[in-house]
Amino acid sequence: MNLFTQAIMSGLMIGAVYTFLGIGLVLVYRTSRILNLAHGETFAITGVAAALLVGAGLPLIAAMAIAILIALAFATGLHRFLLRPRAEWPAGTLILITLGAAFVVRGVLILVAGTDPVSFPAIFPEAPIRFAGGAIPPQGVALIVLGFGVSAAIGLFLSTTRAGKQLLAAAENPYAAELLGVNVERARLTAYAIGGLLGALAGVLLIPLIAVDFQSGLAMTLRGFIAAAISGMSPVGVLFSGLGLGLFEAMVGAYLGALYQDPVMFCILILVALWQSRKIRFGGGRRA
Amino acid sequence: MKTIALAQPLVVAAACLMLASGQASAQSEQVWKIGEVAPLTGPAATVGTRLNKVAKMWVEDVNASGGIAGRKIELTTCNDENRPEKAVACARDMIDKGAVIILGNSLTASLRAIQPLVRRGPILLIPSPNVVPTADSYGFQVSPADSHITEAVAAYLKANGLSQIGMVAATDASGEVGVASARKIFGENRIELRLARIDLRATDASTQLATVAGSDIKVVYSSYTGAGAITVVKSFKNLGLQQPLIVSYGNMSEAFVQLVKDVKPPRLLGTSVAGIVPDLVADAGDRERSRAFLEKYSKRYSERADMINLLGAAAVDVAEAILKTPKPDDYEAVKKYLESTPIPSVHTQRFSATNHVGLDVSSVIIVELKDGVWVKADPVK
Repeated sequence: MNLFTQAIMSGLMIGAVYTFLGIGLVLVYRTSRILNLAHGETFAITGVAAALLVGAGLPLIAAMAIAILIALAFATGLHRFLLRPRAEWPAGTLILITLGAAFVVRGVLILVAGTDPVSFPAIFPEAPIRFAGGAIPPQGVALIVLGFGVSAAIGLFLSTTRAGKQLLAAAENPYAAELLGVNVERARLTAYAIGGLLGALAGVLLIPLIAVDFQSGLAMTLRGFIAAAISGMSPVGVLFSGLGLGLFEAMVGAYLGALYQDPVMFCILILVALWQSRKIRFGGGRRA
Repeated sequence: MKTIALAQPLVVAAACLMLASGQASAQSEQVWKIGEVAPLTGPAATVGTRLNKVAKMWVEDVNASGGIAGRKIELTTCNDENRPEKAVACARDMIDKGAVIILGNSLTASLRAIQPLVRRGPILLIPSPNVVPTADSYGFQVSPADSHITEAVAAYLKANGLSQIGMVAATDASGEVGVASARKIFGENRIELRLARIDLRATDASTQLATVAGSDIKVVYSSYTGAGAITVVKSFKNLGLQQPLIVSYGNMSEAFVQLVKDVKPPRLLGTSVAGIVPDLVADAGDRERSRAFLEKYSKRYSERADMINLLGAAAVDVAEAILKTPKPDDYEAVKKYLESTPIPSVHTQRFSATNHVGLDVSSVIIVELKDGVWVKADPVK
């Protein structure tokens, strides 16, 4: 077994998760100026729902489809019923509301599924693919391809297409955007829906490789936030920050040890934040 | 005047009635207060809820048969969420309310935080292998120590002529204890230890396993408990590793078995107290008590009991023995009693004036998962 190759493979999988979750956070933030701290709950909801439905006898694909719909309903419902009626409230308060929603989801998941971790079978259960001294399950390959592929597509959509730019305009200046014919509310709802879908997709791809429990959501939100923050909330940048973070985490874990992972990662986050604030303070940059 | 004369006996009668009813209600309210600190939510919830189930089952049984010495048990469970600061608040509250025993059904960091609070009592019963209370304290550990568990792993390796082991341990307090035991015990037995640590939030363990599970390593040991243990098992399977994998005692649960049944390695082993396979228990009394507990738990909760449940059973057996002493709130007397009297349980608890750990390496076995059931482990081929 080649440690370097294995670390690359592991890093790509971890990076795909960072990217999936980061792009969802960036999307919601760039369209509504709200940091959605309940974003990762779509991951947990999908995982727990799919596991319970499979356990109840539903075919895997049907269970995953229903679980994704439940996660989508949560994401869009969060915006429609909790955030939209309070759109004039301060952003900080709205962020706290999303945190409250995350804790409510945790409570519901405990009641529904208990405290033990759950999981469900992989879509691609075949034997691992061996290459250059490393091994990766086919599900992991799907995670990498879809993670980066979907995130890249969304990033390009937002930054290069008219519809994507309209979504971003809805957050930059909602009044001006409305005057120009942009349906601001639809744009925001679309953003929450896409964000929820991305979290759910991360769930159906990753959870068969690990397990999920009621508290996985906030941990996933944190991962997404780190990738999003390092990218400066850039839709395209999060692709690279997610990839970089995943590879970095895997390499640090492989060659320095897991005890160094958190200190190194947060040092990077602080340095990037300092660098970006320097650009803003001394000119040449703009806020996300 | 007449009114005052009539009123006096009425007042006296009323006062007597009040006193009598107060006394009666105080008597009817006399209970044994037992506190339980357990993580019912949070990363360690899977441990806390399993221990709590055993405590609740015991309390229901005792109260249904009339209590102990005429007093029923009042169990107060406080959810510490595996946060030491909350565990301290829980324990303080229980001590203030007069708990005579505290069931420390939590994890290492919380238990260490509680220990200084019971310097003058009450008795703290600990089912975790990672704490090892000092002999001058009121803490009593009903589980074998982590070093005993590691000794059992070392003995299994030596019995199979192996001198190397790969180990994955978490970066939390329990992981630190496991690593310290491993370095000491494996070092003393001249077993080469290849070690990798894994973060609690890791979504992949393949780099750690790639570090420790080379072709020259015949056995891999994961001392990681909780959801992350599933990640280790799945990564083990994804890498196509063929060595036996030994998982920690904390994973010997029905939920874990169900999660790994489709992805388990070619050989999945575990560390456990022998009571999980009653036929392997040497003492006839312990064997029968283990069997009886496993059956009762299975009937009550419609699931198989695991090692954590067994340790919970040991804790409540000791608690019951304490309550049957003449003065359970005389902590010094109780301490001397426990140190001088074997306590019958799923594994008989033997404390002493120099050792407050009730079990030793003889109670630990290496088991193997076969057809969804834990049995004695086969030799390494």
